[in-house]
Amino acid sequence: MQQIEFDTKWTMVIDVDKCTGCGACMVSCQAENNIAPMEDGSNKLKTLTWLLVYELNNGKDFPERESAYLPRPCMQCGKPACVPVCPVVATTKDEEGGIVSQIYPRCIGCRYCMAACPYHARYFGWFDPIWPEGMEKALSPSTSTRPRGVVEKCNFCHSRLLDARARARAEDMDPNKLPDGWYKPACLEACPTGAISFGDSKNPEHKVHDLIKDKNAFRLLESLGMDPQVYYISRRDWVREQSDNHLPKDKH
Amino acid sequence: MGIDRRTFIQLVTGGVVGSLFTPVIWKSLDDAAIWSQNWPWIPRLKYGQITEQATLSKFGPSPCSLTVKSVGGSPYVVKGNVENEMSKGGVDAISAGGAQLLYSPSRVNGPMKKVADGKYESISWEEAEKMLSEKLSAVKGQAGKLAIVSGDATGTSSEVLSAFAAGMGSSDCYLMPGDEQAAAVALDNMGGSGQIGYDLDNSDFVLFIGADAMNSWGSVVRNQRVYSEMRPTGEDLKSVYVYAGPFLNSTASSSDKWIPVAPGTGAIFSLGLAYHMLNSGSSASASDFADFKTLVMSRFTPDKVEKAIGVAPGVMAGLAKQLMSASAPLVISGSEFGQGAGAVDIIAATALNMLLGRVGEKGGMKLLADLPLAVDSAVSRTELSSRDFAGYLAAVASDKVKAPEVLLAYEANPVYAMPQADTMAAAIAKVPFLVSFSTWMDETASKADLIMPNPHSFERFDDAQTPYGVGVAMLSACAPVTEPIYNGKSTIDVVLGVASGLGIDLGYESAEAVLQAKAEKAGADWDSLVGGAAFVSDSTESGSLKFAASVLSKAVAMPKGGEIALAPYAKLNVGSSTVAIPPLNCVTISKFELQGKDLFVQINGVTAKKLNVSEGSKVKLTGTGGECVARVHINEGVMNDVIAAPLGFGHTAWDVFSRGKGDNISKILTVGTEPGTGMAVWTSSFVSIA
Ligand code: SF4
Repeated sequence: MQQIEFDTKWTMVIDVDKCTGCGACMVSCQAENNIAPMEDGSNKLKTLTWLLVYELNNGKDFPERESAYLPRPCMQCGKPACVPVCPVVATTKDEEGGIVSQIYPRCIGCRYCMAACPYHARYFGWFDPIWPEGMEKALSPSTSTRPRGVVEKCNFCHSRLLDARARARAEDMDPNKLPDGWYKPACLEACPTGAISFGDSKNPEHKVHDLIKDKNAFRLLESLGMDPQVYYISRRDWVREQSDNHLPKDKH
Repeated sequence: MGIDRRTFIQLVTGGVVGSLFTPVIWKSLDDAAIWSQNWPWIPRLKYGQITEQATLSKFGPSPCSLTVKSVGGSPYVVKGNVENEMSKGGVDAISAGGAQLLYSPSRVNGPMKKVADGKYESISWEEAEKMLSEKLSAVKGQAGKLAIVSGDATGTSSEVLSAFAAGMGSSDCYLMPGDEQAAAVALDNMGGSGQIGYDLDNSDFVLFIGADAMNSWGSVVRNQRVYSEMRPTGEDLKSVYVYAGPFLNSTASSSDKWIPVAPGTGAIFSLGLAYHMLNSGSSASASDFADFKTLVMSRFTPDKVEKAIGVAPGVMAGLAKQLMSASAPLVISGSEFGQGAGAVDIIAATALNMLLGRVGEKGGMKLLADLPLAVDSAVSRTELSSRDFAGYLAAVASDKVKAPEVLLAYEANPVYAMPQADTMAAAIAKVPFLVSFSTWMDETASKADLIMPNPHSFERFDDAQTPYGVGVAMLSACAPVTEPIYNGKSTIDVVLGVASGLGIDLGYESAEAVLQAKAEKAGADWDSLVGGAAFVSDSTESGSLKFAASVLSKAVAMPKGGEIALAPYAKLNVGSSTVAIPPLNCVTISKFELQGKDLFVQINGVTAKKLNVSEGSKVKLTGTGGECVARVHINEGVMNDVIAAPLGFGHTAWDVFSRGKGDNISKILTVGTEPGTGMAVWTSSFVSIA
C-alpha cells in the first residue's frame, strides 16, 4: 500500500518503564469514548478496550523475574493493514496528522480489519452497549455511541484534535500547526505517572519530535513494516526485545 | 449449444466480478449498515456548553484533586488538577470514572429504614433524623453505648464525628484501619508528635519496605506523580527506587531493584540494615541509642537476619552502603496492602532514617504539624489516627467489650473491609442499631437499620487534610460540581442537626461553615481551595525522637518458618475499602486476578510444586477466621512460600459489576496483637491450602 505522508504526524510515545499498570488510562478512555461498562470484564475476547494495558515479563523464574506494563492503543500505522482490507471503506488514513479513522455507520461488521491488524487494536462490539439507568447522562459529547456488530478502535481522541484546531482558529493561529500540549488524548490526561507523551513528531517544537529518536525508543513489531505512529521507550533490553518477537538466536 | 458446468461457473463468476465493479451493491451495503445501526435504544448524545470545575474525589484511600468536565451541567469525564499539590495532577483508576459513579446502580437514592425480612422502606429525612435522635438520646451520656467509625481519614467530617462522640459521652470514635494508625502509634512510642510525612519529592534514593507506594501506600497518586517527575522520559533518572516486599507488584516492577522479603518481616529487614550502618559507625543522638545498638548488634546480625528472612548478608551490606552514600536517602515502611502493619515496622524504618540523619531534613522523614482543629471539642488528628478499631471490634467479637447500642458508619464499609472479616461482621451484627452514612448500598448499608446516604463527592462540600505519607501539611477542599442526583444529605449536616437537637453544641450549623472555618483556622483561603488550589504549610513539629528500643526488643520476633504466608495486595482499579469495582473498571482487571466469577491467587512454580497445585487448580485457603476459594496462577514474580492475593473482590452487596465476583481475602487475614504496643496487627497472616 502506498504510504501517504502528511505535514503533521500525531505521535504517541509511551515510557514503559514509567507505567505502573494502574488502569487510569483505560478507565478514562472508556469514559471519553462512551464505551459502555461491561459486567464481565474478564472475557478478554469480547470486551471493548480501545486501550489495553498488557503485563509483560522477562520469562525468568523467581528470583530473576522482572515485569513491565505496556499500554496498547491503535498504532495509527503509516501503512495500516486494516485499511486496504475494508470492503466498504469504513476505515481510512487520509486526514492531515495521519490518524486512522473508523466510520461506524458505514461499518458492516465483516471484521476483515480485525483479522488484518497485528496489534489486536480493533474491537468488535459483541453486545448492545447498555448503560445502567441514568448513566447515559454521563455520556461524553465527543464520541458517537455505537451499536453492536460494529468494529471500533482508538482514534487518539480525534474530537480533541478538532477542539484544539477550533481553538487555534479562534485565536488566529494555524490549525495545522498546534503548539505542543494543545491536543491531548484522554489517556494521557489521566495517566498519573506521566508515561504517555503526545504531539507532532514532525514539529521540532514538540517533545515527541526528540523522544522518538531516543536510543531506547522502539515500535511494536517494527519488522512488519507498518510504520506505527506509537513509539515506546524502555531502558530494559528484554522489554525492547519482546516488542519484535525477538528470538534468542536473533541478533540485535 | 448446451450449458456445461464449466460454462455455468464462468457465467456465475462473471456475474460476481461484474457486481463487484458496480457501486450499487456497496451503496446498498452502506445504506443497510447505516439503517441497521439506527437503533432507538442506543442513547443519543447530549450536547451543550462544556464547562470545567475543580473538585476532590474521595473514593480511594487517599484524596485526588480533579477537574471535572461537564456538558450542559452533567459531569462526564475528569482530568487531574495540575495546580493542586495534594495529587499533583494525577488521577487514580477509581476517580477516572468518577462521573459515571454518580449514576452507579449501587447508589442509595434516599434515606431508608430496615423493615421485616431485611427489606428496606424509603422514609423522609425528617423521619430518619427523628429515628436517629431517639436512638441517640437513649444512650447519651453513657460510656460504651455509642461507637462511630469513619472511612475518611483526611476530612474535617471526622472531626465533627469525634466531637459529636465526645458530646455524647463516648470515646469510641475510630477511623477505618490504615497505615497512618501504625505511624501514629510508632511516633507516640518514639516520643514524637504530629504526623509522620515523607519528602519523596526531594529524595534521591528511596527504599520502600513493604509499602506499595504505587497501589496502596500513602498518597498513591501523588507518589506516582513524584515518581514520574524523578524519572523524566528520555532523560537521566533523578532518583533510585528500591522495593523490599513479597512479590513483584507495581512498585517493585517500576523500581530499580526488588528485594524479596516476606510479609510481616519488614522490621527485621530494617534492623538488619541498621546492623550494617551501626557497624560502619552510624549513630544518632537519641536517649536510648545505646540500648538500640546493643539490641541490633546482638539480635540482628547478618547471619540471624539471613536465617529469618532469607536476604543474603552481601545484599544487606550493599543496600546499607547505597543508602549511606546517597545524598538524600529516605526509608519508608508500611504494609503491602495499606493496613494492618505493626508500629514496630515504622519504628525500625524510622531508626534507619535517624541513623542516616534524615529526620526533619529536606528529602527525608518529616514530623508534620496537625492543622488547627475546626471543632473545639474534637479529638486531635494524631489521637484519632492512633485509635485501634480492629482491636475494639475484636474485643466486641470475643465479648471482652460489650457491643455498643448504636454504631454509626460514615463512608466506611466495616462489614466487608475489616481483617478477619467474618469475625468482625459478627461483632457488628451484635449492635442493636447500625446506621450507615454511605453513598452506596455496600455490605454495611445492607445490614444497617437506618441508611442516611451521604452525597457523592462531586455533589457535596468536603475537604482533605494532609493525607498520610505526604511531606508537608496541606489542605484541599471542594464544593458541589453538579446538582444532587438523589435525595442525599451531607452527613456533617445530619450530625450537626441531630447534635443540636440533643443539646450538643458543635459550634456550626452547616457542613460548609465547618469546612470554611477549618480553612480559616489553617490560614487558607476558602475560595481558592474550592477553586482547586491546595493550601500548603511547612510547619513541622520540633523535638527529638528516640529509638523505642524497649518496644522493638519486645515486638520483633523471628518467624518460625515453614509456613505459607499470605501477601494480600490492593489495587485501585479494583476499588478501595469504601468503593467496590466501579462499572467502567471491570475491563481493567487482569485475567490473572479474575476470570468469570473465579478469583486467582498467585504463587511461584517452586511453591506450587510443594503444595502440589498447578495453573488453574482450585484451592481453598484457610486462615484463622475463615476460608476463601480461589484458583491458582503461577507467577514467578512471587517469592517462595508466599501466596499473593488481591483484595477488593467477593462483594456480597453493591451491583452486577462487583457482586459475586471472586472471594474476599480479608476473611482469611489473622488479627493478632503486637507485643510492646498492644495494637491489632494482621500483616503476618499464614494460610493452609487444601
Ligand atoms: S494498529 Fe491495527 S487498527 Fe490501528 S492502524 Fe494499525 S493495523 Fe489499523
